[in-house]
This record gives sequence, C-alpha cells and structure tokens, in this order.
Amino acid sequence: MNSRQIILFLVTILCSLSIFAQEKFTLSGTISDANSNETLIGVNVVVAELKTGVTTNEYGFYSITIPKGAYTIQISYLGYQTLQESITFDQNIKNNFKLFSNETALKEVIITDNKTKTDIKRPEMSVNKLSIATIKKMPVVLGEVDVLKSILLLPGVTNAGEGASGFNVRGGGADQNLILLDEATIFNSSHVFGFFSVFNPDAIKDLKLYKGGIPARFGGRASSVLDIYQKDGNSKEFHVNGGIGLISSRILAEGPLVKDKGSFLIGGRSSYAHLFLKLSEEQKDNSAYFYDLNTKLSYKLDTNNSLYLSGYFGRDVFSLSKSFTNIYGNATLNLRWNHLFSEKLFSNLSLIYSDYYYGLDLDFVGFKWDSGIKNYNIKYDFKNYISDTFKLNYGINGIYYEFNPGTIKPSDANSGINFEQLDKKYAFESALYINADHDITDKIALSYGLRYSMFYRLGQSTVNIYENNNPVLFNPDLQLYEKATPIDTQFYNRNKVIKNYNYLEPRLSLAYQINENQSVKASYNRMVQYLQLISNTTSPTPLDVWTPSDNFIKPQIADQVALGYFKNFKDDMYSIEVESYYKKVQNRLDYIDGANLIANKAIEQIILNGTLRSYGLEILLRKNEGKLNGWISYTLSKSEQQTPGRTPLESGINNGQWYNSVYDKLHNIAVTSSYNLNEKWSFAANFALQTGQPITYPLGQYEYLGINVPNYGLRNKNRLPTYHHLDIAATLTPDSNKNRQWKGEWVFSIYNLYNRKNAASINFRQNAETGTNEAVKTSIFGVVPAVSYNFKF
Amino acid sequence: MKKIANLLIILIAVLGSSCEDVINVDLDNDPPKLVIEAAINWRKGTSGNQQKIKLSTTTSFYSNEIPKVSGAIVTIKNSANVVFTFTEMGTTGDYICTDFFPERNETYTLTISTKGNTYTATETLKPVAPITKIVQNNKGGFTGNDIEIKTFYQDPGTQTNYYLYKYMYSNQIKSNYYVDLDEFFNGNEFFSISQNETLEKGDTIEVSHIGISKAYYNYMSVLVSIAGNNGGGPFQSPPATVRGNIINTTDSANYPLGYFSLSEIDVRNYTIE
Repeated sequence: MNSRQIILFLVTILCSLSIFAQEKFTLSGTISDANSNETLIGVNVVVAELKTGVTTNEYGFYSITIPKGAYTIQISYLGYQTLQESITFDQNIKNNFKLFSNETALKEVIITDNKTKTDIKRPEMSVNKLSIATIKKMPVVLGEVDVLKSILLLPGVTNAGEGASGFNVRGGGADQNLILLDEATIFNSSHVFGFFSVFNPDAIKDLKLYKGGIPARFGGRASSVLDIYQKDGNSKEFHVNGGIGLISSRILAEGPLVKDKGSFLIGGRSSYAHLFLKLSEEQKDNSAYFYDLNTKLSYKLDTNNSLYLSGYFGRDVFSLSKSFTNIYGNATLNLRWNHLFSEKLFSNLSLIYSDYYYGLDLDFVGFKWDSGIKNYNIKYDFKNYISDTFKLNYGINGIYYEFNPGTIKPSDANSGINFEQLDKKYAFESALYINADHDITDKIALSYGLRYSMFYRLGQSTVNIYENNNPVLFNPDLQLYEKATPIDTQFYNRNKVIKNYNYLEPRLSLAYQINENQSVKASYNRMVQYLQLISNTTSPTPLDVWTPSDNFIKPQIADQVALGYFKNFKDDMYSIEVESYYKKVQNRLDYIDGANLIANKAIEQIILNGTLRSYGLEILLRKNEGKLNGWISYTLSKSEQQTPGRTPLESGINNGQWYNSVYDKLHNIAVTSSYNLNEKWSFAANFALQTGQPITYPLGQYEYLGINVPNYGLRNKNRLPTYHHLDIAATLTPDSNKNRQWKGEWVFSIYNLYNRKNAASINFRQNAETGTNEAVKTSIFGVVPAVSYNFKF
Repeated sequence: MKKIANLLIILIAVLGSSCEDVINVDLDNDPPKLVIEAAINWRKGTSGNQQKIKLSTTTSFYSNEIPKVSGAIVTIKNSANVVFTFTEMGTTGDYICTDFFPERNETYTLTISTKGNTYTATETLKPVAPITKIVQNNKGGFTGNDIEIKTFYQDPGTQTNYYLYKYMYSNQIKSNYYVDLDEFFNGNEFFSISQNETLEKGDTIEVSHIGISKAYYNYMSVLVSIAGNNGGGPFQSPPATVRGNIINTTDSANYPLGYFSLSEIDVRNYTIE
C-alpha cells in the first residue's frame, strides 16, 4: 500500500461518519477533577444497560454513540468516587463530568469506592498503568520518588541494578524503549547516571507502559513505549506543593491563568548534595548536581479548541577541580492543539522539539567534547468515535533528526588537540497509521492497525565506500574481525537521500471474554526501530551516541506475540494477569571485540548484525482494595543474542553461538504493598529479587609484558550473585493538617533494610600493590535510611 | 577516550556509598594454551642487538606461578631472509638473541616450533617520536591535589601514529600501560599522562613511549582494558579472548595467545620533586 492509497483509505473512513449516525446519538465531553479541573486519562464511561463503554483519551476526552433511549451512565476512575447519571439519548449531548477524588468527595455524591480491577473486556494487554499516587507511596533510595524505579516492580521489567540507568522490557535493550514526556522523546531518562530519573513526580499526571500489543500510533522503538503525561495545572485555584528530601528538593506551583479556562504549571527540582562538598576543604572545588524544570500552559479557547504548551529542561553537572566538567541533559518543547471536528471526531496537532546534549571538558588533556541529538516532530492524530463498538485512531507523523556524533575542540590555545567536527548526520522519519478498536460481539473485542513507517538518511554527509560494500573484514588466519579501510568516499548534498527504508508494521490484539470476570487475550505487533544507540555496555551511559540507520546500519525489526489470561475474583478484590510472550528482534547490533565506540568516525567498521530473542511468562497478582493492597509479580524469562558469521568461514561473535544477553534474568520477583493503618499513618514495603546479571568469568590467566591478563572464554556464561533487597516506608500525616490550608506529610524510609551488598559488578584484576590476582565485587548501596517532607497549600 | 569510561566509574564511586570487597569466586579452568611474548623493543640510542622472547602457558586465575615453555626453536628473519636465532637461557622459557639487527619499517617474520606445532607471525618495526620533556604538576589529577606527570613529544604529522605508553613506578608492582593514536592531535606536540594518585616526593618513574602498528594498537586496547578491571558491570563492555597476530600453522584451532610486535621505544627516568 503506498501513501496515496492510505490517504484515500483515511478519507473514505472520514466520509463514512454520516452513514453511521442514523437513529443514534452521541454523548461526548471531557472528564476532569472537580477541584482542579485537571483532565483525567483513562476514565471508564460505561452505559450500564448496554454493558458497553469507552475510556477518556490522553486529553480527558470521551465520546460514545448509542441508539436512542434512556440509559444509566457510570463514570469511574481509580482514586475517585464513581459517578452515576441517568441520561436520555434523544439528541447529541455534551457533558463535561467532574469527579471528586476519594479524599475530598462530598458525601452526597458517593456511590461506590472505585477499584483498580483488571479490564477484562478490552483487547489491551501487556500494558501497565501506574498512578502517581501509587508511585509516591513506594519506598525508594534516599527517599527520592522515582517514576522509572517504580516500573521495575512490574512483571517483565528489569534493569541492571542499583545506580544503573534505563530499564529493560521483556528482555530488550534500554535503547529499545520509547520514552515520551507529553509526547516528546526523552533520549536519556536518568540523572546522575542512573541513580534518579529525570521525571519530577509532582509534575506527572499519569504513566502507561506498553510492553506489547502496542497501538499503531506508536512506533520507532523495538521493545516498549513508556507514555508519560504531565499535569495541566489547576485552573480553579492557585496551589503550591513541594518536598524537601536528602538529595533534592522540589517545588511546583499551579493555578489559573483565566479561571476555568486557562492554567499554568511550573515545577522545579534540584539536588543540593554538592553544597555539602563545599564545606569540605578537600572537596570544595568539586560539584555534582542535577536540576530540572517542568512547565505547562493550558488554555481552553472554546468548547472545541484547546491549546497546550509544555516544556522540560534538565541538566546534570559534574565538575572536579575544574580539570573535568561534564554537563548533560534533555530539553523538550511541545505545542499542542486539540480540536473537535464534531462530537465524534477528536483531533490533536502536536509540534514537538526535543534534544539531548552531552558536553565534556577535560582540561587536563586540553580537550572539549560536545555531542547530541535534536529532533523536530510534527504529529497529527485523529480519534474517531464512530459507534459504541467501533472506534478509529489514525494520523500522520514526521520527525526530522540532527545528530551530532561529536565536536572536538581544544580547551585553550596551548592544547595539543586539533579542532574536529565528526560528520553530523541527518534523517527524516515519517509514518502513517490507522488503528481500529472493534467490538465484534459482546464477548470478542479486537484492536487492529497498521503503521507504515518510512525513514530517510539524508545529507549533507560524506559516506565511506568500501570494497565489496563491506566495512568489516574478517581475518580468517587470526579469526578476527577488523575494520576495513574505505577505498573512496562519496559526498551527498544537503537533504539528498543517502538511504531510505520503509516498512509496514501490523498490530493486532484480541480479547475473548469468557464471562464477567475472565478473559483471554492475544496480540501480535511488529515494531521497526530506525535509530540505534551505539553502546556496548550493560546499561546506557550518558555519553552514548544515537545514530540513524543508513546504508550500513539496518533498522531493528521486532516481532512479538503474546497470549494472556485475565481474571478478577473475590468480588473484584483480587485480580490476576498471566501473560506469555515471544519476541524476536532482527538486526540487533553487536560490536566486534575491542571496538572503541566513542568518537568513532566510522561506526560501520565495528558493527555486525545479530538477532535478539526473548520469551517468558509473567504473572501479576493484585489485591485491589482494603487497608492492605499491592501486588506480587513474577517473571520467568530468557533473553539471548546471536551474531553468526556472514559466511561459513567467519566465526561470528562468540563463535556464532547464542549467548545470554546482559538483560537476561531467569527469575524476577517483586512484591509491593501498602497498608493504610489510619488517617495518620500509612506504611509501604517493597521486595525485589532477581537472578544475577550475566557476566563473563575468566577461565585462566597469563602473563604478557608483566601484566596478568585474565583469559576470558565465551560471553556471559556466568552470573552475578542473586540480587535482592527489601525496602520499607512510613508516611505520617499529622492531625493538624485537617484545620489548615497547609498540608504536610513526613515520609520515613529505609532502602535495603537488611543491608544486602548487591553486586553491581565483579572485576577480575591484579592488585597494583601486591601483584596478586583477585576478584573484586563492587556494590553501590548498603542500607539507606532517609526522611523527606512533602507539603502543599 | 577509554579514559572517559573509567572516569564515569570513578564518579559513580564518589557519588554512591559504593564499596569494594575482595571475594572468592569459584572459577573453571581451560586447558593450558601457549602464550608468546615476542615484543621486540629497540631503545633509542642502543644497537638493539639484545632481544628476548618469552614462552609460557595460561594457568588458573588464582595461581601465583606462570608455567614456562622450554625446548622451543625460536627464530626471526628479516625481509632479506637473514635469520636471528633466539636461544633459551637454561630452562627459564626466556629465549635470547644477541645479534638482532633492528631497522625502522623493516618487516620481520617470527617462527616458533614447540611440541610438534609451528607458529608464525609477520610484523613491521614501528618508529617512535622522541620524548622531549617531562613536566610535573602538583595540582593535578581529579581531586586537584595529586602529583601528575606529563611526558611530551612531537607527533609527526605525515601519517597516523599509534602509541603504547608504559609507566613503571617505584611505589607499585604493576606497570601501567596506555594506548593512544594521534587522531585528534595529529602533527602537534602532545603528551602521555600518568594516573597514579599516590605518588610522593622521591618516588621514581620510568616512562616508555613505544611506537606500534595499528593492529597491535587494537590488540593492546583490548588487553589493557581486560587486564584493568573488566568483568561486567553497568558501564562495562563484555570481555573476550584477545587474539593476537600469531598463527598455529599446524593446528589453527589451537591458537596461541600473545603478540609479535617490533617497536622503537624511548625511555626516560624521572624522580618526583
């Protein structure tokens, strides 16, 4: 299907609107918090008589079209009181519902407490939602509430341990996650390498992690999508909230610009540990800190139009006695326009800019380094609520990328370093997509879609040409891969296409409802990833460089199937979700031994294409209500990589055998629980246990030039010791809160209660003083107690 | 640039309450493999006639004894087929030649016969730029309070040069090796830098600058990183067997470890002031 045919298809669907409208009427509007007007995402709007319903979209909008008649509409959302209203459908109705949160609800509107029970009916699977309220209750290292650390407690999600950045979803690499903050791509999600995440929890409204069954509107990464939405800001009243912690403090202000129409939100967070460094004579010239800033302006122009402007800016700064300075971080800016073409057709146009910057100043070698990635993104997304059983989502997306692999500058006139600009790289990625949510019968619901993605690697650029088009040579005598020397180069002018790719990415998921409380679901998705993170470490480092697919680097293609069983039981008190998956990623990059990835001008000379496959079983058992609630998750999984030789004569990497990827964790158990004792005290506890990360032990040693060299065998055959820790927290809400504007709470936490020294690495080395060989385990955190104070007024 | 990765690890150590423990790990052992250390070094200002090749085998990681290989026949010949014979000193595994004739950019072939196998390798002798000066800075290092030594030279701008720097310290048993190439300082005055945070007045240092080939540069980059401290961790790349340039012509699967390299080297001694 070419692009013209797809557009034609979209137009046909748009025209079909009027045909569906016979004798049916539409109820539409937005659903928001009664106190702040903050729109709510994923609210269930159910027509009780028809047992059908919809959920609000990312902007709080819903639309449902049903035959003429009188119905009971139930509106329910986690943490809010369920609302029930009788509505007569004899015309199209606009109704903006307001929900009262459990804390503030007025007695007369209370109907029932809402639960987090599993959605049995919808074909959505392999998706986890976490409310920011749940995240804030979890005990964390140094009391820093962390959005990314919380998702590690979900089945199928792991990372490389304490202090490591990124996360791995279903045995995939951290580079395979699409992380979106208000739709803008975040390229590095960590502060201080991996100790903290870049998301200020006070500014976050909602997050959703798609591990599979990914809808067609998302693309560009092989493994998962983490979709994070910032709060819009309170358009009723001015409020401030914040927190004071051991590592950082944060403050956020929100309020109306124009009452009930426009709001602003501005939040900042900064660490201040470096201030203590100043107190010490030895450390006074050193500093290490991070900060970030979240802003959002929302404005409702009229009933059919809203504008949102949101931004993020974050930086990490390290400086050691002025001889070494390192600054890095993300910035995003996003302008969105919501427009209702009709009560059934919702649209959103987004103009998004995001960038990632990495700068390093090594004064002691006279050297400055800058690298980064910028992208300009336009998205036009339509949600078409055709009937109560059929909804369409379609749109277009175009992203222009500019990559700077590195600028090398002498730091002063006396430096021995020459100025060098590594060739900048340019690319354009675009996509057309359409996705249908289709309830075939009462019991069978389908979601199917197609994404057609295109990628153009553009000039201006000088491209190397190799003999036989082969940039990596194999030396059969030494059984070694070596860099080839280019025989020529070709110059491409600005915006000239160097290489293009296009793929059709089908997406399908299906739910079969066995009865009121049980269903089975299945899904398949293909995802194509055109950007590659050049990294051969276990978890990404801030200076890893992104690079586009080109004539040598092929896009990663992931195919995933998943099958699941879902059940709510004991009157929805508990729910269980069991899923199994198989995922295969083609063109997973592997690096030849001894490859130097940093400041490499010709990445193609050190890479080979391999395959990544992973499969597993995930079980999530949740207790949804009561004083004690929480979940237990267990994942049994395998993740392996293979890079065979390109010809029978070549050895491939690791002799062409499958080997454990660094994300391979056989067992992964997480227990998270919270207990609300009374209005004053609540408690929470987490326990996490996972199989140690694969590493390679030496099989012996030898001496060369007086150095003891460990002799390593095949890759990742051994493992670090099992990783586990138990964390607890207690939250104190003083009684004095009740009668005043100022609300405060104290959070006391202990991370790693029994002081488990989890291994971050085991190094095999020769002791410099004694000359003997030793194995050295490095662990990051022992037991870490912390206290923080949160407030709002 | 590898230094940057090391810096990251240091920073993490500074920031986290991280700690290191020496632990006991049960390790498997592979059968012994031949290790050939054929690093021919021609020190500037000498004849270079006296050269040594060491033969040993791999052994278990925790062993304090490196097994020697005796009774081998070791020769090097140059492009004019002049053969230089290396004779074992007793049964030490050290094979000595006293009439070696080094020439810059000359190609040499190594042949070793032992236990029914023949090993060969071919390599070119690489020149090196002389050391021009050594500069001591007492406000160096990451903390700004360490003694830092920079050893300067003038990089030739005509071609890509590869360097191996060796720092031998009176206060530590292990020598430090660094590899470098002139990609970002071609034709300029540049330096090697010592990373030893515990130097004190009176300590002595021997600095060697060694001219190496591109292939040997690749080999030593991996070797240095593996010998440094590479075993798996969030910011480390997977370690691997380091294959050298020596081929077993009798049984190619039974490949030897080590390298045949020929270098001109410049050595300076320095006492911390």
